[in-house]
Amino acid sequence: MDRANATPGQMVLAVVLTCAVAASALSVTYDLTKDRIAEQERAAEVASLGEVLPDASEFVAMEDLLESAQVAAGDSDVGAVYRAEGESGDLMGWGVRIAARGYGGPIRMVVGLDRNGQVTGVSIITNTETPGLGTEVLASDDFMTQFVGWDGLDIDSAAKAYDAVTGASKSSNGVRTGVLASGHVFQEVLSGIREGGAVDE
Amino acid sequence: MSEWFSVFKRGLSVDNPLTVLMIGLCATLAVSTKFEGAFFMGLAVIFVLTMSAILVSFLRHVVPEKVRIPVFIVIIASFVTIVDLMMKAFLPTVYDFLGVWIPLIVVNCIILGRAEAFSYHKPVKLAIADGLGMGIGFSAVIVVLASIRELLGSGQIVFLGTKIIGFPAWYKGPNIVLLFPGAFIIFGFMVAGAMALNRRMSARQVQTSQRCTIEEGGGS
Repeated sequence: MDRANATPGQMVLAVVLTCAVAASALSVTYDLTKDRIAEQERAAEVASLGEVLPDASEFVAMEDLLESAQVAAGDSDVGAVYRAEGESGDLMGWGVRIAARGYGGPIRMVVGLDRNGQVTGVSIITNTETPGLGTEVLASDDFMTQFVGWDGLDIDSAAKAYDAVTGASKSSNGVRTGVLASGHVFQEVLSGIREGGAVDE
Repeated sequence: MSEWFSVFKRGLSVDNPLTVLMIGLCATLAVSTKFEGAFFMGLAVIFVLTMSAILVSFLRHVVPEKVRIPVFIVIIASFVTIVDLMMKAFLPTVYDFLGVWIPLIVVNCIILGRAEAFSYHKPVKLAIADGLGMGIGFSAVIVVLASIRELLGSGQIVFLGTKIIGFPAWYKGPNIVLLFPGAFIIFGFMVAGAMALNRRMSARQVQTSQRCTIEEGGGS
């Protein structure tokens, strides 16, 4: 075939064939990797949930609460709400997967709350903060542990006393926004469900 | 075989995509804050570059000239997606770090540029040499750049969770090394070094070839 003077039919055929072969190669790769990818994502999430709620043995995704939680969180984006359960299935607390705006993009994190709404911990899943500045904030224990003990029912006043890291205030504020929004989710959605928990004396 | 080797060598020295041709710099500056990320970025580029070079060269007689760019892009994008899925499945921590830069290999001009300038005109054997040479040339530079930046900026080099080399704990690296200005400064020194090296090598080549002609002249 003369590649400089191909007919339109030949051109179409070349492109269509390339795309067909490429698509089938990709679908094979996708099939090979999809279980593994889902497993990895699930493992990463369970690991961060376990970090913020170490006593819980089971995390159940609450899909029916998601929509109202998203409304309560305002600008931050709630990805999932988990009910943390103890060994006998009793309510231990809540895990909220939330993304809040940092300096370089969304900071995705899991915020743990006990069943009275006190923050038990914050764990960062992914972030795109500036290496060496924003990422130092997220890696700093001093900064991350200050959120522990914030009262979800009165999170706005708790959030007033807060120390941002100098030089990375936008990254710091991003984490604070996520915790604050999780508190609002607890106030408006989760605190009402507390009484309905299986074991609640 | 010597032609194969000379094509292969060009990618590492006189045609190095980063220090000489200066293409694909965007991704290079962005991912070279960590040795680990740069290492796997290099592997990904070697894979995509070589595989797409093989396919483009193999199909060079049947792909009409007017639709060659769409065909190249589809081929390159497929290999990049394969790398993307594989890395997500088997190296999730590295994938988190490289993030958007893996899919962006599609638009890395090294790969489309080599397909267009080399593989589309040359037999498969030479296309492999070019793909490997360019890929390894790219990886070598990005890995060295990332090692310098991570070591000076964070005080240690970590590979898959293991610390390979580190400064004592009191060392506090200057942040600028990890930010873009630092990348440009260090990269500038590397370009200067590579130029000096290439110049010296070509000077030596001229010398030896001159000596050869003199010897030949004396013999006849």
